[in-house]
Amino acid sequence: MTLTVLLLLAVPLLFGALCLVLPTSGLRLSALVAGSMTHLAVVIRSWTSVERVAADDLLGTDPLGHLMLTLISVLFAVTSVYFVGYHRKRLISQRVFLACMLGLLAALSMVCLSQHFGLLWVALEAASLAATPLIYFRLGARALEATWKFLLMNSVGVALALLGIFCVALSTTGVGEPVSLTVLELVRGAESLDPVWLRSGFLLALVGFGTKMGLAPLHSWKPDAYGEAPPPVAALLAGGMTLGAFVCILRVVQVCSAAGLAEFASFWLIAFGLFSIATAAVFVVGNNDYRRLAAYTSVEHMGVLVVGIGLGVAGSYASMLHAMHNMLNKGALFFLAGFLWRLHGTNRISLVRGTISRSPVAGVLLLGTLCATCGLPPFGMFFSELGIILAAASQGQWWVLALFVTTLAVVFVGVMTAMLPVVFGDPPQAESMIATTGTEPRWRRGVMLSAAAVLLGLGFGLGVYQPDSVRRALDEAAQSIARPQAQAIAALEQPEVHP
Amino acid sequence: MSVETATDLVLVMVILLDLGMLTVSRLATTVRFFALQSLLLAFLPLAAATFEGQAPGMHALVIAGGTITLKVVLIPTILLRIIRTGEIHREIEPFIGFTASVLLGAALVVVSFAITARLPVPREPVSNLIVPASLSTVLIGLLTLVSRLKAITQVVGFLILENGIFIFGLLLIEQTPLLVEMGILLDLFVGVFIMAIVVYHIRREFDHMDTHLLDELREA
Repeated sequence: MTLTVLLLLAVPLLFGALCLVLPTSGLRLSALVAGSMTHLAVVIRSWTSVERVAADDLLGTDPLGHLMLTLISVLFAVTSVYFVGYHRKRLISQRVFLACMLGLLAALSMVCLSQHFGLLWVALEAASLAATPLIYFRLGARALEATWKFLLMNSVGVALALLGIFCVALSTTGVGEPVSLTVLELVRGAESLDPVWLRSGFLLALVGFGTKMGLAPLHSWKPDAYGEAPPPVAALLAGGMTLGAFVCILRVVQVCSAAGLAEFASFWLIAFGLFSIATAAVFVVGNNDYRRLAAYTSVEHMGVLVVGIGLGVAGSYASMLHAMHNMLNKGALFFLAGFLWRLHGTNRISLVRGTISRSPVAGVLLLGTLCATCGLPPFGMFFSELGIILAAASQGQWWVLALFVTTLAVVFVGVMTAMLPVVFGDPPQAESMIATTGTEPRWRRGVMLSAAAVLLGLGFGLGVYQPDSVRRALDEAAQSIARPQAQAIAALEQPEVHP
Repeated sequence: MSVETATDLVLVMVILLDLGMLTVSRLATTVRFFALQSLLLAFLPLAAATFEGQAPGMHALVIAGGTITLKVVLIPTILLRIIRTGEIHREIEPFIGFTASVLLGAALVVVSFAITARLPVPREPVSNLIVPASLSTVLIGLLTLVSRLKAITQVVGFLILENGIFIFGLLLIEQTPLLVEMGILLDLFVGVFIMAIVVYHIRREFDHMDTHLLDELREA
């Protein structure tokens, strides 16, 4: 274990502990921002000298984990700034809340860094436990209901995933001497794994981690949790935690594709993915709550992610691209949802009209974010979804292509018909509405909107122009999913690369 | 009595306790059944180590000790305390009646044995009952989760499910590092602790702990 890895886990935990003991709210908020910014700095620095993972390392930065870690770190850094503008005094306990937020960052970092399946599971479960108090932020009956559903469904899902990991582990016992459960070891010995147990393991892991990721039909906690949790938390869950669960699925996919079960895995990934997009399409149309609507677009994007993985190297590349833009987009979307909620004091779409005339900046940002969510060019999701369509076409999977395009179109229409009046429509004349707008200090609004603008701007920028370094990182991650053997061989040839 | 016979006996009792838990309506009894089941399970890692032909090592002892501390002492104490301080002591009118759920549970046990016949275990385990006992416990845990109304019973259902996975883990006891095992136990404990807090809040907020009445959040 190297210094970088240690820092990535220790920094958030340390600042989280600080949040528990610091006396004033201002100090605690600065600890939150400082903690996530330091984490981001360590992550960025780690790209300058990438260390290769050895076969028996429990933790390390492999291409896939490193990419996801970076995405999660960026999201946390921006969210911590947004939270400074968003927070108000009526929290469960600000100390506990902020400590849990940084604890979630530490747990998710560990998910990305884990090379051992057992450790991976422990980290992901820790992440969902850290997230539970965050959802209960607002107290009261509705938040409680959302928390209970989240906790129970995720615990059961993750428990099934553990059974899946055990099945994968059992597939190794026929080999002879016990193999350690690291990704590289399993990939290297993949030919001798027992296919029956590996298949059962993959399915259980897909269902279990899929629950956590929010794949239909196991998504039912998602609209409740995202709708009731404070928007910055929803942003962290939709853009960060889902990626953590996605990494877990991808680890199992890596083993499966090394063992020659890629076709079997692809079938189930595509099936779950398309079903998720279709489910989202059904519930998006006619939805009257913009936070639940945003949650269903998250279900949709999770579906897009796993469909991409099922379509070979090209699809995996598109999927990695989509993961990056999903993080940027979900962050911006929930930040703006939080802003709308502060501006109008309601979640109901039918009561929120004419944002652009009341706050032009927010209106423009919201319009941009909606276009990004629906995958309009030049936003990045256009390119990732196009990549998946091209990958499906090149493999001759016409049914997949047709269903994918149709359901995405339905989501597009559903989101736009619901949300365009929110941006443009005639503002309501009720005085109570106007009264609520004046109370928010200008700097708070500024912070909230600029956080959303940063993420939206990044999504726009990376859609228009993609630097070579980003492309390479995405490509390496995609290669390691679809052709994991190459990576394992490289690690075998150069076991001692620790500069 | 040889190690194999003892293990078989323990696993049969575990399956019987699974079915037993489906019949009782008193919440406290369910929790006690769970504690008893966990106590039985705590001996299995020791038996598995003995079967491999060595004295139970550090690894097996720590797992057994951790299981007894958490699942036999701490978690049941927390759950019993919640039950004692509230007014509700019984599971009334579950979605699936008690008789029906026992029959369903028995069917699930049969299904588990049928599945096991198709899944060959790569290496000779300490007992051939490990996989079917594990699957039955997992399935009955899931059944408890979906068919009962009280939040506490659902927590116990989750714990039964977790016990089933623990049995399965016996097949892999040499492969899993101790660190990971401890992590799993710790996560489980913290998870149940948080669940207990949420149950407490549910009761304070609604004056009941019927989770099917938690239905305010849905599509309008």
